[in-house]
Amino acid sequence: MIKTPLCDLLNIEYPILQGGMAWISDAQLAAAVSNAGGLGIISSMNADENWLRQEIQKVKSLTDKPFGINVMLMNPHVDKIAQVLIEEKVPVVTTGAGNPGKFMKIWIEAGIKVIPVVPSTGLARFAQRAGATAVIAEGGESGGHVGEMSTMPLVPQVCDAVSIPVIAAGGIGDGRGIAAALMLGAVGVQLGTRFLVADETNIHENYKDKIIKAKDIDTILSGKSLGHPVRSLKTSFSRDFVKAENDPSTPRETLEEYGRGALRIAAQEGDAQKGCFMAGQIAGMIKEKQSAKDIILTLIEETETALKGGLQCVK
Amino acid sequence: MVFEKVVEILRNYKEEPELEVSMDSTFEELELDSLDTVELVMEMEESFDTSIEMDTELKTIADVVGLIEKAIA
Repeated sequence: MIKTPLCDLLNIEYPILQGGMAWISDAQLAAAVSNAGGLGIISSMNADENWLRQEIQKVKSLTDKPFGINVMLMNPHVDKIAQVLIEEKVPVVTTGAGNPGKFMKIWIEAGIKVIPVVPSTGLARFAQRAGATAVIAEGGESGGHVGEMSTMPLVPQVCDAVSIPVIAAGGIGDGRGIAAALMLGAVGVQLGTRFLVADETNIHENYKDKIIKAKDIDTILSGKSLGHPVRSLKTSFSRDFVKAENDPSTPRETLEEYGRGALRIAAQEGDAQKGCFMAGQIAGMIKEKQSAKDIILTLIEETETALKGGLQCVK
Repeated sequence: MVFEKVVEILRNYKEEPELEVSMDSTFEELELDSLDTVELVMEMEESFDTSIEMDTELKTIADVVGLIEKAIA
């Protein structure tokens, strides 16, 4: 059994969060993860408040366990989204793509536990000062929009910079990764890519098949020149994108336009020519499709084995 | 007064004593990304012994100077 202070803090059985992935993490996946003892998280991506309210009501109908909502702070509907979270008494909110300072006060006053995703110690300290319950230190090994730093150096430095609990994310694919994260000082982990292949994940089968087939070297970073790098599987789309990006004659607008809607196409249509299949570097470690429950139970068993094995090095 | 101190903090941060900074300089022109901005705001808070609300996006040095002047007023 793996128990950390995060379990009591969030009222969950296992210290595993399922990352809020745009176009992927919906009420069905979040409920499955929460029912399995982790914390399921719905991505509110660029959606409006009506869509989000429906998803929240759906997840509540599927589980009585805590769940979370990921808020993408660049969402044009973010002000209304922020209110819906309060009205619906959402237990946990994670934030990405910006500084959540503006909303921290009203969420915390409403009893919401706020856990910003941070890519640096500076933002972690900011989050702590603003009253964050915990922070997710996410390294650039993860899929989707990524920061510069890797998980291994980021997590211990964030742990030293703040006194609130730290959750590690990025590059964690199995129990060995979870054990390592705990050794770095984290009290929990967030996994995204691992849950892409969950039975309850509503994405095109092509997406899941690509993850199962992926090798270690099969992810690529694109969009760095646009200021928001994205890690995804190498496909003809992502290779062409990087080629265009490296060509100085490509106008910035063309690149922005090229990338627009590409994740939705991957998730819903599974089209490798036009879709951007976001995935982290651990995609190569995923060998089978499982239910969310089996994923979590496997992860916990592996973590126990890894942690017990580590003791053999202590003489 | 605030501006001069902000310039000094910026020059120290970038380790460029001759760095040209004006009120209109943007963080982008100074080659500072959003994470640098967070670090800098915290250094400025310490230096001015105040707390700066980062509710709005900071683009120019004038934005930061304005926030600090408001905070210490």
